[in-house]
Amino acid sequence: MEDTTDFEAKRDIAAIAVERYKQGRLTRRGFIAAMGALGILPALGTKATAQAKEIIVVNWGGTAKDILQEVICDTYTAETGIPVIVDGSGPSAGKIRAMVESGAVVWDLCDSGAGSAIILEQQGITQPIDYSIVDKSKVLEGTAYNNGVGNYVYSYVLATNPKLLGGNVPQSWEDVWNVKDFPGMRTFRKSVRGQLESATMARGVPLNEVYDVLGTDDGIKAAIAKFRELRENIIVWGSGSDSQNLFLQEEVAIGNIWSTRAHLLKDQMDAGSFNVSFNGGVIAPGIWVVPKNNPAGTEETMKLIAHGQKPELQVKWLELIGSGPINPDAAALVPAELAPFNPSSPENLATQILYNDEWYAKNQIAAEELYVDALIN
Amino acid sequence: MPRINEKVSYWMLVVPALAIMVIFYIVPVLGIWKIAFTEPATGIENFVAMAGSNAVKTSFVITFRVAAITTVGCLFLGYIVAYAISNYASKLTPLMLALVILPFWVSVLIRSFSWIVLLGRSGIVNDTLRGAGLIDAPFRLMHNELGVLIAMIHVMLPFAILPMLTNMRGISGAYVLAARSLGAGEWTAFRQVYFPQTMPGVMSGALLVFVLSLGFFVTPALLGGGRVLMISEYITYQIQEFLNWGLGSALSVALLVATALVLLIAARFVNLRSALLERK
Repeated sequence: MEDTTDFEAKRDIAAIAVERYKQGRLTRRGFIAAMGALGILPALGTKATAQAKEIIVVNWGGTAKDILQEVICDTYTAETGIPVIVDGSGPSAGKIRAMVESGAVVWDLCDSGAGSAIILEQQGITQPIDYSIVDKSKVLEGTAYNNGVGNYVYSYVLATNPKLLGGNVPQSWEDVWNVKDFPGMRTFRKSVRGQLESATMARGVPLNEVYDVLGTDDGIKAAIAKFRELRENIIVWGSGSDSQNLFLQEEVAIGNIWSTRAHLLKDQMDAGSFNVSFNGGVIAPGIWVVPKNNPAGTEETMKLIAHGQKPELQVKWLELIGSGPINPDAAALVPAELAPFNPSSPENLATQILYNDEWYAKNQIAAEELYVDALIN
Repeated sequence: MPRINEKVSYWMLVVPALAIMVIFYIVPVLGIWKIAFTEPATGIENFVAMAGSNAVKTSFVITFRVAAITTVGCLFLGYIVAYAISNYASKLTPLMLALVILPFWVSVLIRSFSWIVLLGRSGIVNDTLRGAGLIDAPFRLMHNELGVLIAMIHVMLPFAILPMLTNMRGISGAYVLAARSLGAGEWTAFRQVYFPQTMPGVMSGALLVFVLSLGFFVTPALLGGGRVLMISEYITYQIQEFLNWGLGSALSVALLVATALVLLIAARFVNLRSALLERK
């Protein structure tokens, strides 16, 4: 099976965090003060216990590392006295595997993806999640695997610039493919991830049948044909910052981009010139995995995962970096002005489908080839 | 002190450069060839996959088309510049030369980004034209092949000018004067006497620009909008997006072979030694 984890998306979240710091939206002090005010931070270190050893959490670096440290790890330390340290060196499936096979495991908890989680489970590299400690009901349905559990979410969303469109904004993917009524350039990702789904919906396929239709050769070909039809109106984005620039420079009026980038654009664009719709969105989770024989032990690591599921911490993720809470209950705590940008709010969940890693494992490479051909040939 | 034998001193001068070429170029290139034939399995399956792919074919066509148009554009503009500098600039020659060479000091990345600022939908060119009331809707000057060509011709221009200039400066003005005094018109004298003498310069400029353009990456990636997918970008795409080192390597082998073929074919029509080594 192919590893279909979207490492680009993970790196992108790290890159976004850097921008937030640059904008001065994140300071450690301000954050701790806010947490104190919310009553989340009790007096630091009161419950320090002697038996506790440290837990090492690994993600993809950048300032996402610092945010993970502050939001989930430091608050855990404050509650339990157990030191938790974030390492930003990028826990690719290959690295986790090499570590477990060499018997020198130093990582306890890794920010992985569904594709990697499935492969690592098949290869016997990771441990089962202990669902007596980690609460299955506190993660989005479909993101609780045997050996991996949801961590945060981001979506592929329909972003538009109402100003460029003269107020005439597409509401669905069908509208996006209607060049006559909605003129202007569109942007799609330089990869089929989260894109063929849009084309399939544009054919009028209902949400719950999208992956069934894409599961057939004809379904894939039809989606590709939709891109061939639209290509004169397409500019392709490679990196998350590409997609952001295309909107900022008004090169495109419509696009299928990451919700995390949309979260930044809503602050950067003038009022009335940026809009996001989760109608027909594709929601993708980050997945926690625990390597076998991790030094901190299974139970301690499971407790840390369970700690991170708390709605009030999950909301911080959204506020600080734009990736949404994996715990749908957190939606109630999301400030009103951020709610429309929350991928996992009940309203937004109702109009989206969950990214299907199994489909990608089976079909992605062949589909990519056809996709590139449709765009350039 | 004993005199070092001439042969030894020759090799002492050549060996460092040769060693660098072998260690940092030849060996890695052989590594790439090896990957192309061994990953994911030993055999020619990467090349079979490549030959069966329409996207690869289109990408090769785009690559050669962009390189060819860039070459023609560079030769046309470059010839005029080189001609003006070598025949009319006299006192201004150092300044003009400096202006030709100056862009070399700015990275290709920065120059390509500058074109984004100029050619964008709300870029300087479109804004000026709209402000002057000449157009209603902005032109699509980039995120297509036009944008890639404009920027590539700009980037490659010095590579066309310099060989032609060296060549032209070695041509004595006496030939044209002789032709004129024998009754040839200005145009005839240029076409029949001057122009043929500049062919070695034109050819070496053409080869240089064409071969460099074949492997171009930055400019098409930035200005092509993803739809002017040249081979080098396609290689990056295979390796970064799919970790498909086998096919990526096979593509680069194919590009290298195609480039070598171009040189071989060129060699049938042009004397490569005089085009590339002796610029007079």
